[in-house]
Amino acid sequence: MRILHISDTHIGGALYFNKEMLEGILGETIKQKFDLVIHSGDVTQGGRRQEFEQARKILSRVDIPLIALAGNHDARSGGLYLFKKYIGPLNGVLEIGDAVIIHVNSAFEDSDQGRVGMVKFDMMRKALNDYSEKKIKIIVLHHHTIPIPMAGRERNVLTNAGDILDLILKEDVDLVLSGHRHYPNIYQIENTVFINAGTASATKTRYGDVNSYNIIEINERTRRVRTVRLDGKAQGFSFPKRKKRIFSDFGEREFRAVHIANTLISDSRAFLKRNFLNAMDTIKKLSPDLLVHCGGIVREGIAQDYEAAVSFMEELEVPVVYTPAGRDINYLGYYLFPTYFGSIDQRYSNENILFQGICSTQYDSQDGIVGPSQRKLLLKKLKTPEKTKAVFLHHNVLPISHSREKGLLEDSGDLLRELVDAKIDLVLTGTSSHPFAAQIGDTIVVNANSLSSVYQRSVFGNSFNIIDIYEGAIAVFEVNSLWGRRRLLGIWERNNSADDSRL
Amino acid sequence: MNLHYPAFYDLKRPVREVMTKRLIGIDSKATFREGVAKMVEFSISSLVITNGGDVVGFITDTDVKRSVASGLTPETKIEQIMTTDLITVNISASVRKVLETMSKNKIKHLLVTEKGKVVGIVTVRDLEHMVRQKLETYISRE
Repeated sequence: MRILHISDTHIGGALYFNKEMLEGILGETIKQKFDLVIHSGDVTQGGRRQEFEQARKILSRVDIPLIALAGNHDARSGGLYLFKKYIGPLNGVLEIGDAVIIHVNSAFEDSDQGRVGMVKFDMMRKALNDYSEKKIKIIVLHHHTIPIPMAGRERNVLTNAGDILDLILKEDVDLVLSGHRHYPNIYQIENTVFINAGTASATKTRYGDVNSYNIIEINERTRRVRTVRLDGKAQGFSFPKRKKRIFSDFGEREFRAVHIANTLISDSRAFLKRNFLNAMDTIKKLSPDLLVHCGGIVREGIAQDYEAAVSFMEELEVPVVYTPAGRDINYLGYYLFPTYFGSIDQRYSNENILFQGICSTQYDSQDGIVGPSQRKLLLKKLKTPEKTKAVFLHHNVLPISHSREKGLLEDSGDLLRELVDAKIDLVLTGTSSHPFAAQIGDTIVVNANSLSSVYQRSVFGNSFNIIDIYEGAIAVFEVNSLWGRRRLLGIWERNNSADDSRL
Repeated sequence: MNLHYPAFYDLKRPVREVMTKRLIGIDSKATFREGVAKMVEFSISSLVITNGGDVVGFITDTDVKRSVASGLTPETKIEQIMTTDLITVNISASVRKVLETMSKNKIKHLLVTEKGKVVGIVTVRDLEHMVRQKLETYISRE
């Protein structure tokens, strides 16, 4: 199946819309053979009637199936009503041969933010369940699920992106198409390819970029995406399906790290002492080479919490590296953290492996940001000869289920792209209190649940992670704090860089 | 104390939503001891037995206990112990179908297939999270 994927046309915007550009792109449907055109939203500039009339006129020239979504711009001025009238339904399911395409509206009136509400989430899940046997499953949303680079502060990822990502991965969706940020970007996470289109015809591009669109070829085995930039430069990527499910020969274990977060040590009821003590006992028995604490050591950055934390943590006779959460540096924490737990950006290395911490927190705020200067410094620190490299920080770089997108680093789009491009083996995070592990490109992103606080979101209960590095694979387990029961979150082959190859 | 939880598991949901999509396996030429060591290392209650990438058998902790009780030595080849008659369920089958198949065959582990190939596993444990969480919330409250 061949799909022409366009986005963010902004039809009618007197300053922004380039009509000739769009007509040229749509003309490709006559020159080349496509099965479908997908427009992933922001059809019009301002959701006004005249703009929708013009849009209908332009889009009606496409004589193959077309799916168009409403974007945040279309939802302005009561535009969602007009969208249905002039363009088509806001949500829907289209079957073409072996493929099913599910498109869901993520825009709501007069807001640039995106969300898929509970009714639509259930609709999406039901459609995926109903079409579970389809060989190709495609989801289209205007707003992006995965943070986009070069798009400034991450504010417009879907508010429930974590749940959407979880559903997409569980249901083995093949493609997720989005737009919104006017910057083309592609990732493969597990077996799903997330494709963001740039703008097809708005002059409002980012970083002086040009207009672009995607040509997607998909079959049961592979997914090819060609981003055509209108300055004549095109980039192609191929994403074969990762078939390996059974791991039987991956050599000896080289390293074991235990990954924890949000212990919230304090006198308060928020700190579950029994869960903490049991977990520490389990950790001792696991004899890890390193413990990585991704922040939330204490409940507040006050002396008595730090004193308690020091006495609890010193029981462990393993090397520990810490990175602070906002709460760790609040109040007197800015002084107590370095006094009791060491420098802000900590690092562990031996001849084979490097764990590099990076501070993502600020005073009196739950929001995380790394910033361009610190990111640059981080990449410099990662230019070392070790075979395996891991970065750890408090805030999330991928959205976590059952939480709002607030845990995401504000510059998660940029940091994620840089770490994935640098083929960093592991990125460990520790907020949003839900376990998560998935491979994006060649990088495995792991989030730790809260080890011992009442504020956690997993039905498995408070937990921590084990990261076992073998010669041929990396395995991640979640271990229940109270019982020590273990479950595999994932196991991935090491050094399989062939999957995301530039054509 | 009674805590009420929403129904996390709709019986109509496909098994692909609740299954584990990665399996730990061992070569059929390995010994019983090596197999059990792998089960201990990964803290898992079952193991798939492979031969050149294909699944040829399966053992669970019940098979391990039975083998020890019957006097088999640790150096016995795992292929002599494994079950070769694999009970499977399709990846698109419902959770209801999983429960039916498990109860009909009196088993707690079920291999999941897609296009005839084993692609994962679903166990009773995967369906127990809710109950466990309910218990834990009670125990952790002091």
